Amino acid sequence: MIKTVNIKPENFKELYFPTLAEITEVQQFTEKEKWYKLSLLDGSNLGHYPGQFVEVSIFGAGEAPISITSAPNSYGSFELCIREVGMFTEMIHKMKAGDKLGIRGPFGQGFDVNELYGKDILIIGGGIGIVPLRSLINYILDHRQDYGRLIITYGARNSKDLLFPEELELWQSNPDVEFHQTVDYGDESWKGNVGVITTLIPPLDLDLKNTIACITGPPIMYKFVLLTLQSKGLQDDNIYMSLERRMKCGVGKCGHCQINHSYVCQDGPVYHYPDLKLIREAI
Amino acid sequence: MNGYYLSQENVKDFISHLMKKKTVYAPHAKADHSFVFEEVVDADNVILDYVRTLNSIKKYFMPSREVMLRYNLDDNSYSIEDVEPVKGIFLGVHSYDMQAVLRLDHSFSHGNPEKNYLTRRLDNIFIGTSFTPDNFHFSSSVNIQPHKTEGFDLFMHKTDRGYVLEEVTKTGSDLMKGFDQLTKFHGEYPNSEHFKSHLYAPQEKLSKVFEESYDNPVWHEIAQKCVGCGTCNLACPTCYCFDVEDHVDLSLQSGSRERRLDSCMLRGFTEVAGGEVFRDRLADRIRHRVYRKFKYISDSAGEPWCVGCGRCTIYCTAGISIVDIVNRLVSDYDKKQIVQDSDMIAAWD
Repeated sequence: MIKTVNIKPENFKELYFPTLAEITEVQQFTEKEKWYKLSLLDGSNLGHYPGQFVEVSIFGAGEAPISITSAPNSYGSFELCIREVGMFTEMIHKMKAGDKLGIRGPFGQGFDVNELYGKDILIIGGGIGIVPLRSLINYILDHRQDYGRLIITYGARNSKDLLFPEELELWQSNPDVEFHQTVDYGDESWKGNVGVITTLIPPLDLDLKNTIACITGPPIMYKFVLLTLQSKGLQDDNIYMSLERRMKCGVGKCGHCQINHSYVCQDGPVYHYPDLKLIREAI
Repeated sequence: MNGYYLSQENVKDFISHLMKKKTVYAPHAKADHSFVFEEVVDADNVILDYVRTLNSIKKYFMPSREVMLRYNLDDNSYSIEDVEPVKGIFLGVHSYDMQAVLRLDHSFSHGNPEKNYLTRRLDNIFIGTSFTPDNFHFSSSVNIQPHKTEGFDLFMHKTDRGYVLEEVTKTGSDLMKGFDQLTKFHGEYPNSEHFKSHLYAPQEKLSKVFEESYDNPVWHEIAQKCVGCGTCNLACPTCYCFDVEDHVDLSLQSGSRERRLDSCMLRGFTEVAGGEVFRDRLADRIRHRVYRKFKYISDSAGEPWCVGCGRCTIYCTAGISIVDIVNRLVSDYDKKQIVQDSDMIAAWD
């Protein structure tokens, strides 16, 4: 017998109906990346956790999953940082303050801030992976006394690709944050580290028992970061990571984001690494 | 619950009786050996003795295309498209297609109960007919006998001279009211048919077989033949993965957001912006599809998600048989067990 679920019609859910949001601020970070501040027009709060995503929709163009980059707040606005990479994001990049977008969500499992309570947090962000991690970083900064050390490692392709320039400076100057950044390719203007993100990890002095690593980056990065953390002696149990997949519906139906038995839009995008090890296609 | 004899001559009157109650959907001939479910206009055109229909009745609850939203681009106004219950009588449904609907019910109700599908499923009546398995049916291997009545309100067991009509639910009994050309049937309902195609393991074993089959070379061997066209997904009564796309009208003022069935066998299925494809190898896509039918959903839902209808094998443009794939996995698994057992015996000696 199939395990059926009996649901009364009044509990059927309207899953695909977006809420309108207005863009209130836009800032261009790099040639390809823009930052947007939005507010839901119905005045409601998005109510998300760090690491979750929304389905952004433009009528006439479609929908795409986009990470939320702002920390949860109570004043009703939220922020997205979007790379121009195709037709849909090109249309978003043409939008200005005052323009409207559809929003569904927030969706998925973010970073479990209760699980992280009291721990040293090691942030490992590669490229645009810093976008969802910024939500967690700012959440921790908002609740600084609840967490141990905050160690941020951030790598970008080159110095022109670094996102959130003003905040990077704030993190750098904040005595409560240990901030390390690197670029893959240096140039004359760049005075800092040169090398891939994994070069930032070996020199770190970590309390291995009490450190949780939170990783987000391009798919290719995970394998190498995991090897580096393992050789450092960090247990798998202390690792969380966020996966990119094609999360088309966001509600566990359309099948595009499925890896083995797991729907990334439901069980992820943030996974505890021991769970992820059981999912063969994941990394 | 009662049972009745329904002679071949009375079938037409029975269909006319049903047509007075609700819209009736039943199999019709499309070509010499093709059948489709269609709305019944003339009881004469209904064919209850058919092998299988091209598509299952899934199409009524999960249409291959459906509008989700309509919007106006001038003022960003938008509205949801109303979904109505189908409210039909589905006549002549085979047990594997009924079981497929029950599986879709599970998929669309667990987690987030989806309004679109579940609303269409409200207030429908299902009347089953038994079938004679051909070379491709293997539903008995996934615990779906041709006479399985689960999910039906009435069931028509085929006999030499017509049918034995079994009332399965109260809804079914009520449907019989006002139809009096019937003699009561006393006895055992027919319950077995001979299958020519079989999986060589029951589900309990299949679950173990699939635990060991992830790295089986069969996925790469099948990928040599498979053209990755996605026909198996379209033919499958339990496939429901979909994509959503926007269509702007010629006026450029309004448009609609539509969902359509998608296929996990297509390369673009897992492609994300920037060009990364997460199941780039055809072998991985074949494995994903077969695992989805026998492991990923089945482990939590309790039954195989394949219902043994045989459609994916019949319509496969490359002649690939899902039965052959599964049986190959079973036989490789058995060989491995024998080797392990003999190793154990050797160690014992």
